[in-house]
Amino acid sequence: MSPIENSPGRRSAELGAMLRGEAGVLAGWVAEAAPGRTWRQAGIILVGAGAFGAAMGSWRAPEQAVFAAVKLPGILLGTAVGNALLNGLLAPLLGINLRLRASLAAVLTSFALAAAILGAFSPLMAFLVWNLPPLAPGHPETVGAHNVMLLTLVGVIAFAGVTANLRLLQLLRRLGGGDAEARRILFAWLAGNLLFGSQLSWILRPFIGSPGLPVEFLRAEAFHGNFFESVFHTVRQLWTDF
Amino acid sequence: MNETDPTPPPIPASFADDVPLGENPRDRDPITNVPGVIEALLRHPRRIIFHLNQGNASGRIIGLLLAVALVLIAVYGVIVGSFSGGVQWWAAPLKITAGLAATAAICLPSLYIFTCLSGSTAQLGEVTGALGGLLALATLLLIGFAPVAWLFSQSTASVAMMGFLHLTFWLVAAGFGVRFLRTALRRLGLQTESGLNVWVVIFLLVSLQMTTALRPLLGPGENAPLLPRSDDKKFFLVHWADSLDSPARR
Repeated sequence: MSPIENSPGRRSAELGAMLRGEAGVLAGWVAEAAPGRTWRQAGIILVGAGAFGAAMGSWRAPEQAVFAAVKLPGILLGTAVGNALLNGLLAPLLGINLRLRASLAAVLTSFALAAAILGAFSPLMAFLVWNLPPLAPGHPETVGAHNVMLLTLVGVIAFAGVTANLRLLQLLRRLGGGDAEARRILFAWLAGNLLFGSQLSWILRPFIGSPGLPVEFLRAEAFHGNFFESVFHTVRQLWTDF
Repeated sequence: MNETDPTPPPIPASFADDVPLGENPRDRDPITNVPGVIEALLRHPRRIIFHLNQGNASGRIIGLLLAVALVLIAVYGVIVGSFSGGVQWWAAPLKITAGLAATAAICLPSLYIFTCLSGSTAQLGEVTGALGGLLALATLLLIGFAPVAWLFSQSTASVAMMGFLHLTFWLVAAGFGVRFLRTALRRLGLQTESGLNVWVVIFLLVSLQMTTALRPLLGPGENAPLLPRSDDKKFFLVHWADSLDSPARR
């Protein structure tokens, strides 16, 4: 990789092109699938999602901040790599003739965009944490603060995710499929990534942590059960209670 | 008989002008010092925007804008501190200056992201300069309000009343600052403003929460910790409601 290719100005220009969703530029990247750019996008994911994870985990404890800073980028990178084959197979089947590397580059670009947005919001998240009462067992304000935290997290992550997917849809349209093909592929990729990503998140929990439980990298029961089973049990419990 | 025209020259079209940047020769007038920055902010903001758009040459303007903002907010902080005196003579300006700098640092990354998402090709330096312009113009207006604030500080004992007054001044000043930011970003290629509107709300929320996070800024500081204890964190609206209920005086 030449020094110019990796210069801060070029990195900043690439980030700007991603954020603006310059479909022509992004389509060129996907077609080219250059290793240098792939590493840079992985770097954006590590830094952006890592900073957001650290801000989120710092509410519980400094160790939790470090754990979440490692785990959140791990989910994004793990999902991109873990579903690379499936996504690469689905693209030509559903109407856009993308090679495996190109489909991985497209997904990685959208994840890097989401991570950049998360990274930009991490100072705000850290400021929120600084202003919240401590996450301590028996603290009267913890429940309310937890709800504020959860709502903010959902809002920021939803914003990052929706923006990244809108840009991915524009990119898929540009890559040669019509509107219908682009939507079909986006939907298929989203479904696959949701399935893989949600279970990976389930295994890698906790991210914020619970005041009643010790700070740990993985729960002892990390590999027991799954995300959808848990959602099912929660819904059934709610049904029984009402 | 004096034949000179008594009508003052018109203020150059600064905000609603559709002429491209740089086509008006005044846009290119250099800005080299603090009085020049202040003059341009008030009378010809296009000059600042033009110079921000000049790549490497914009560094000096950004530095000047941020320096003006930090010095002016520190001066306004002294006025805030004059309400209670004592420790607040130095604690209030220090905390208000640090708070404004922290607000800018916290909000800058999201401003850059929203700017890019809205189609602008502005670089991080240009966005930093536009934010610096917001801060410089807002703090300049605060200095304009300072005599009024000082007068009330000397004649009022109610913390809630003074808090309301400073808050009003900040919102008015920030409103003008946001107008500068909006104009600057439009000139730098912003295509839609919905993201910027969201950011403005975030910026105001952070700045208002900062006043609670760094309390006490008003009221006696001798018997209070410099910053709130970790078990005394509050949302700013809750803090304001508590302040209204308490008979706190200076």
